[in-house]
Amino acid sequence: MQTSGKVEPLRSCFAGDADMVELVQEFVQELPGRAQTLAQLMQAAQLDDLRRAAHQLKGAAGGYGFPTISESAGTLEKMLHGATQNQASELQARVNELVALCNRAVAA
Amino acid sequence: MSTGSETTAQARPRVLVIDDSPDVHRLLKARLKQEELEIVSSESGESGLEELKKSRPDLVLLDLDMPTMDGFEVLRAIKDNADTVHIPVIVLSGLANAEDKVAAFDLGAHDYIIKPFEFTELRVRIRAALRLNFLLRMLSQRAQIDGLTGLWNRAYFDRRVQDEVSRVQRHDGALSIAFFDADHFKSINDTFGHPAGDAVLQGLGQIIQRDSRQSDIACRYGGEEFVLIMPSTGPEDALAFCDRLRQNVEAVVWPRHPERKVTVSIGVAGASSVVGLSAAAWVEAADKCLYTAKKTGRNKVVVSDLRTGEKPAAEQPPLRKAG
Repeated sequence: MQTSGKVEPLRSCFAGDADMVELVQEFVQELPGRAQTLAQLMQAAQLDDLRRAAHQLKGAAGGYGFPTISESAGTLEKMLHGATQNQASELQARVNELVALCNRAVAA
Repeated sequence: MSTGSETTAQARPRVLVIDDSPDVHRLLKARLKQEELEIVSSESGESGLEELKKSRPDLVLLDLDMPTMDGFEVLRAIKDNADTVHIPVIVLSGLANAEDKVAAFDLGAHDYIIKPFEFTELRVRIRAALRLNFLLRMLSQRAQIDGLTGLWNRAYFDRRVQDEVSRVQRHDGALSIAFFDADHFKSINDTFGHPAGDAVLQGLGQIIQRDSRQSDIACRYGGEEFVLIMPSTGPEDALAFCDRLRQNVEAVVWPRHPERKVTVSIGVAGASSVVGLSAAAWVEAADKCLYTAKKTGRNKVVVSDLRTGEKPAAEQPPLRKAG
């Protein structure tokens, strides 16, 4: 699903903010775990939990300075409002995109 | 005793954050570090309401979208409770639609901020909410305090007596209300001047405040008249308390006129369990007792038990008469 070659890393907009350094680091460390959770929820078709996880990631990523991840999570959340299994492939694509973005995040 | 002399300002304003996302709590703590705030966190609507009762915050930051009990429900509960209705609430929401904003403001929200938030904006909005709340509280307290004595004023009494009377109607408790009037006060003013009269009023206010309990509500009713609301106190206890107070007043040696004692007449209306009387009827009954005390020699306490319907005749036998 990911193109080969160099992947551009995503940096926090708050990289230079002393108040935030530690928090951003912590968040970035947790991100792969969160991404995995999203993928698992999608696989298990637990759409309510997936929506909630996406919702929280939208807010968190925005707060830690990753607007791209926040937007992607927001798009997924919106799709999940009233989503049905019929849209599974579309949802899967969205989840994949979000997971890929999460894995690109670096602290500094 | 609870009067308006309690300070409105706390060293550090306390902010309660109610949000189900741990990230929001972490971020807010980091972002508000410079603000000299005490931040209390709750991760659900239910625990937030519990925390609200415990920690009495100066401001609430409330997430709308939470599982089980959502922010609208929490906001409604805060604004439906007389003890918490004055606490400003800033709603935090990922939903920017006008419908939700209108609903939140209709429910009494102070402000509305869209997540993910711009922290500089959040900081100034928090400051503005705290400043406005501080001024409102100061203003409302000023408007309820009697300037000369520092006791609650007449306007506060009128409101509070309603609350206390309806409380005993609901919960079947005891309540007594006592009216105090300085005897021959006009002659103190005429003989020693108005500053001396003011000093007497201040002194009486201090004695009433000093001798009454934490739960009692001491007010200046007007002129040389004071009124004490005594929750959870039946007429017998109120009589004993008021007579001690009467004796304490009589014992005072006044610096401006050591040769001239000051005495008070006191009328008490009380009941040890529920009576179906309005606040106005309680006040009238206490006032009648005061009138009887004045008519029958002053420097005494006259009490009426509203439950037995006993008339002001159930008066304290004159222990000592004023000179």
